[in-house]
Amino acid sequence: MAAIRKAGFRLSKIERQEALVGVVFILPFLILYVIFNFLPILQGFWISLHNWDVIGTNVRFVGLRNYEILFSKDKLFWSSLEHTLFFALLAGPGLIVTGLALALMLNQRVRGIGIFRTIFYMPNILSVTVVGLVFARVFAPGERGFVNAVLSSIGLEPIAWFLDEANAMPTIAITKVWWSVGFNMLIFLAGLQEISQSLYDAAKVDGGGRWSLFRHITLPGLRRPMLFVIVLQLIASVQVFPLIDVLTGGGPAGSTRPLVMYLFERSFDYWQLGYGSAIAFVMFVFLFSISIIQLWFFSRGEGN
Amino acid sequence: MESVPSINQLGAQQAEREKQQTRRNLAITAAMSLFAFIWLIPIAWTLSLSFRPEDSITANLTLLLPVPFTAENYDFVFSSSRIPRWFLNSLIVASLRTFLQLMVCSLAAYSFARVRFPFRQTVFYFVLIGLMVPGQATFIPVYLLFSNLKLLNSFPALIVPGIASPFAVFLLVQFFKGIPIELEEAARLDGASRIGVYWRIFLPLSTPVLTALAIFTFLGTWNEYLWPLVAATDPEVMTITIGLTNLTATTYTANYGETMAAAWTAGLPIVGFFFVFQKRIISGIQISSGIK
Repeated sequence: MAAIRKAGFRLSKIERQEALVGVVFILPFLILYVIFNFLPILQGFWISLHNWDVIGTNVRFVGLRNYEILFSKDKLFWSSLEHTLFFALLAGPGLIVTGLALALMLNQRVRGIGIFRTIFYMPNILSVTVVGLVFARVFAPGERGFVNAVLSSIGLEPIAWFLDEANAMPTIAITKVWWSVGFNMLIFLAGLQEISQSLYDAAKVDGGGRWSLFRHITLPGLRRPMLFVIVLQLIASVQVFPLIDVLTGGGPAGSTRPLVMYLFERSFDYWQLGYGSAIAFVMFVFLFSISIIQLWFFSRGEGN
Repeated sequence: MESVPSINQLGAQQAEREKQQTRRNLAITAAMSLFAFIWLIPIAWTLSLSFRPEDSITANLTLLLPVPFTAENYDFVFSSSRIPRWFLNSLIVASLRTFLQLMVCSLAAYSFARVRFPFRQTVFYFVLIGLMVPGQATFIPVYLLFSNLKLLNSFPALIVPGIASPFAVFLLVQFFKGIPIELEEAARLDGASRIGVYWRIFLPLSTPVLTALAIFTFLGTWNEYLWPLVAATDPEVMTITIGLTNLTATTYTANYGETMAAAWTAGLPIVGFFFVFQKRIISGIQISSGIK
């Protein structure tokens, strides 16, 4: 029976009704999904094969020419890629180490510890513009910023945080850690609570010190949350844009301009939508690959 | 025999250990309090700025308490800026998108979880691909679509593209699969239709996960940046997250009190929202990450 059904899709009346209901139920979702998530990827690639200079007019097919220029001649593309990686290198480890440290401190049976969890997580829900407006003042140059005012009150020179090419990206990374480390903390906390206390008790009987407990029980026990956080961080870092846009606008002198900002400028300041789409497609391929590797990794872990 | 401690000694050891534990807890709490205080300085300071007159700010920048206190900066924000309007726009866009997303995605998820139809698994995998598509891979074609429809700078442009969320469907399918099939069969025997089962059994039983999803979609939409930046350039339809960028964060010479009043008019309701729903937000993050 099943074989026949499978071969010819010959469904009984009831099955046909059931199938109809099933399809009708997914239809609203599926239509929106195809229009706004799926087709735009293909369209994006199609647009990237053109010189699409002004909206709807002056469209010319150029094949892979945009990609050729992008990879071989475009210095701004490479420099914005560099800035993106620099941001990932600064913010990534900062977010992971700080998140883990906070989680370890908060994973104690002390009364009122929930308040701290709330405090460290709270910045995460603020919108990027609020964070931007706040930290532009916290790290304002001269005597107008909070940190500089504190520095000068203890006799130190003020620092040009966002206005100095050498300091701008690290200051952005510090802001990023303040803003979103709470999320990592929650993930690590959940992971820590999954590690059985009996493992620690057994190791203590064997005379394990604090560091050895951390090294041999806590860290291996956090393998899954660690991987989860690293991959998420990597994906988020490659897409970094809003925070930098509100803090420095890519400056000073373009020294913090990330990839997405470059894509945005090409597309909506210069209206080179074909070229912008090529950048977008390169990013898509990269991020999609990371996701596939992650999926493969996690599903393999599940099998064990 | 010497090595066996007496009962008195045991009691003393126990008391000593408890004392140590208490001291350790106190030390931890003190360290955490200090750290938490530093963590809150950016919020406390700028919030205080928003309630201080400008000349007092210039005289003493780092004050964490608003003395002397004034509400003038907020008067300015509410009377002579577009911020109330942007706030309302954000509320409309985030609420409508959240509601529509929950409806559309839960209906699809019910179908994927419980209704048999041809190619169900294939279509589901096709939807899961969407989990791996970043927003900036799609926003240029979507922009062109709305531009051709002459629908840029409209609420539909801000709401509709975010309704079909592969993540929401994925999360809800997982949850729906855990609902006992007997419940559904019993209701069907009593003559309930598919839509009746979905509406009267699945939705009520999924309140926790639907609430968590609603909170995340609402916050995510409220804080969205890239898409509304290109889709809504007209100040009349801007969301508050985008509208506030007009106060350009990098203008350090601007009036501190008014700028911060604007920032916290946008930020405080979200902070309040967080305190109301914080338990659900925190457990929601931990559940949806699959770690717990």
